[in-house]
Amino acid sequence: MPENILEMRGIEIQFPGVKALDKVDFFLRAGEVHALLGENGAGKSTLIKCLTGVNHKDAGTILFDGKEITPTSPQNAIDMGISTVFQEINLCPNLTVAENIFVGRKEFKRKIINAKAKELMKRFHLDIDVTRPLSNYSTAVQQMVSIARAVNIDSKILILDEPTSSLDENEVQLLFNVMRDLKAEGMGIIFITHFLDQIYAISDRMTILRNGHLVGTYNIDEINKLQLVTLMVGKDMENIFDMHPADVDPDAPQMLNADHLGAPGAVSDISLTMKKGELVGFAGLLGSGRTETAEMIFGANRPTSGKLSLKGKQVDVKKPFDAIMAGVAFCPEDRKRDGIVGDLSIRENIMLAVQAKRGFLHPLSRAEQNELADKYIKALSIATPDAEKKIGELSGGNQQKVILARWMATQPDLLILDEPTRGIDVGAKAEIQRLMLEMCKDGVSVIFISSELEEVIRCSNRIVIMRDGKKAGELEGPFDGDTQSRILQIIAEGGDAQ
Amino acid sequence: MNKKQSLFSRIMNPKYIMVYATVIIFLIIYAYGAIRYGSIGFTTLRTFVNFFSDNAYYGISAVGMTMVLITGGIDLSVASVASLTGMIIAYGYERMGISPVITMLVSILIGIGLGTLMGAAIHYLNVPPFITTLTGNFLARGICSLISRESISINHPLIDSLAGFKITLYHLVDGEWVKIKPITNINLTVIIFIVMIVLGTLLLQHTRFGRNVYAIGGSESSAKLMGLPVGKTKVAVYAINGFCSALAGIAYVLVVKSGWNMALQGGELEVISSAVIGGTLLTGGVGYMVGTMFGVLLKSVIPAIINFNGTLSSWWGKIATGALLLLFIVIQQLVVSYTGKKKAG
Repeated sequence: MPENILEMRGIEIQFPGVKALDKVDFFLRAGEVHALLGENGAGKSTLIKCLTGVNHKDAGTILFDGKEITPTSPQNAIDMGISTVFQEINLCPNLTVAENIFVGRKEFKRKIINAKAKELMKRFHLDIDVTRPLSNYSTAVQQMVSIARAVNIDSKILILDEPTSSLDENEVQLLFNVMRDLKAEGMGIIFITHFLDQIYAISDRMTILRNGHLVGTYNIDEINKLQLVTLMVGKDMENIFDMHPADVDPDAPQMLNADHLGAPGAVSDISLTMKKGELVGFAGLLGSGRTETAEMIFGANRPTSGKLSLKGKQVDVKKPFDAIMAGVAFCPEDRKRDGIVGDLSIRENIMLAVQAKRGFLHPLSRAEQNELADKYIKALSIATPDAEKKIGELSGGNQQKVILARWMATQPDLLILDEPTRGIDVGAKAEIQRLMLEMCKDGVSVIFISSELEEVIRCSNRIVIMRDGKKAGELEGPFDGDTQSRILQIIAEGGDAQ
Repeated sequence: MNKKQSLFSRIMNPKYIMVYATVIIFLIIYAYGAIRYGSIGFTTLRTFVNFFSDNAYYGISAVGMTMVLITGGIDLSVASVASLTGMIIAYGYERMGISPVITMLVSILIGIGLGTLMGAAIHYLNVPPFITTLTGNFLARGICSLISRESISINHPLIDSLAGFKITLYHLVDGEWVKIKPITNINLTVIIFIVMIVLGTLLLQHTRFGRNVYAIGGSESSAKLMGLPVGKTKVAVYAINGFCSALAGIAYVLVVKSGWNMALQGGELEVISSAVIGGTLLTGGVGYMVGTMFGVLLKSVIPAIINFNGTLSSWWGKIATGALLLLFIVIQQLVVSYTGKKKAG
């Protein structure tokens, strides 16, 4: 029986009006990857924050290496050997890679930290210039750097809070390799993620929380995915995995026709036809040109070659406003940066695009706004007491629904969703997928960009595979069990599939 | 071969772009002056040294300001604190008979104390730097006027000797050391300016403190999560800036040999713009002492060209400085948005 490096027993945390954690036990062994699972609001973050000294427990004990501890601050936890990597990258973009890894540590001289950082990055199979500012590198590299910083301290416990949400498939594998190395060195790793596949790929055990209660701790081979989701959500979610896109009427009018579109430095030679009510999935690695293609159609990035027609009419989309007027809506990838206006209310956030489309000389009355906001809050089951709550205070899944509502309210003919399900929990994910499919049934064409192949395959009528800024292939549904490997093959090797 | 390459890539590191821009623009303007007015003495060493001495007091203050700006803050009190220093020295000796040695020390302590207070208010009470230091500005200026509403000239042998201190530069001609013609002197304010730039560089580039300053400017919340002493560092930066303001005040006294409650009005903007022209980002996180030094030199070389021209109104100097400031802010925005784009791709 391996030893527990961490024992949290009977942890209780009381927030004003709600018990965030109720008698939760959590045991972590040395040399294991332990997945911590639950929907948003289940208490995962609260448990982690209790362990890292952000929140203070009202009852219970924490034994670390056999000794009772009470972490008082993140720094205190780090000093004890508990380090955390968050989903948001908490580094300084202006410092160099090496400085970011070592700032605040005993190593200080540039020469030494540069050499050490280079060594460390090699372990992550990253051959990068560590003397360049961090902002020069992609989110994925930055995430690796933050992990490098965390493991560089002599920590015994590493907490990875959604570390993969901005990584593509290859980068995830890289991270997994590093996790395996660390595991072999006897580190206990707590792994939080929404990607079910990843849980099964790397974890040894899992602990499931629901509504602040412990559901149970299981070995990875004890329960399958369906059981896992059912335990997390607390109701039978069989129908999540039983979702199919509606058939597209073969005589449906053409919605979009892109003819050899291209913009230098972004993508080249993109041809694509879409029918009314069709859902086209974009698959491909991060940086393969998925987002760039979408931006070109939306006018955020002006194409320099090729032709674009919407609803059979050739259009010259110079800026997003032109696209909005032509009935295109675009839900960008980074909802924190490009999507939500955190300090505005849900109602105001929903109104933004409608109001822009109407022009500010034709303001919506407050009554109309309330009606519209309430309609979408209901239709999308956004969890909020009322429409006046600040959007920044909602959970990720609910924020995403508000953004979706914003664009649905403009009643678009073509809706582009760039990673709409990233970083949100299984339940919310399923709801967003269902909404997409329902919109297609109502005759809206949808472009769905996602890094999760499984959901692309599940929801799309057709899949476009992007690779190195070009369209590498296109697969027509209905899809079967081989589709995934087929797509992976095209992503890996390129080639003209069909 | 490999070493050469790494040297090249070190020099080409994008974090130095702004400093290069400043240096290049300085060189262009200098070259213009050299071509147009070389024959009437623009290229002499004396003219060059004057670039340093013309604005040395602003330069000394800009050392502290650069650090404040790198943390993402701002300090509008510097000129008033410098003016207060002059007032204390002048009033102290002329009206109360206190030796300038003591008043200098006292005013430096006051500078540090005010800086510490403002830094503490900014960090612990979360008052925006703009408001806090504007208050500091009014406070210091008010105390100046409280002390005296008229200009007090200082006649003290120590001030005279400090102001008169100079190192005359020699060069070797036919195996003999002779004075450079035209006679070129380096005075005390220039020495203080250069020493402060060197000390500032050492502090920013070669100490933990300096790295923390950059980290805070890059992302204060990240710096906190990385376990860096954010509060202490910020307070220390404002304290250092207070010290620099007082020191700049002493340098100014050595130039004008008087104290006046209205001295250096608007000087804080000169100091801030020198740092910004030198490549310091107002949003924090980026800035180098060398850049700031060239920022100060640029502010001397433009009036110098106007002087050499002889027919232009001196207001053209202000216009040129304004244009330069605009240009630099535009370049900064371009650099920032360029690196931002690269990250997104």
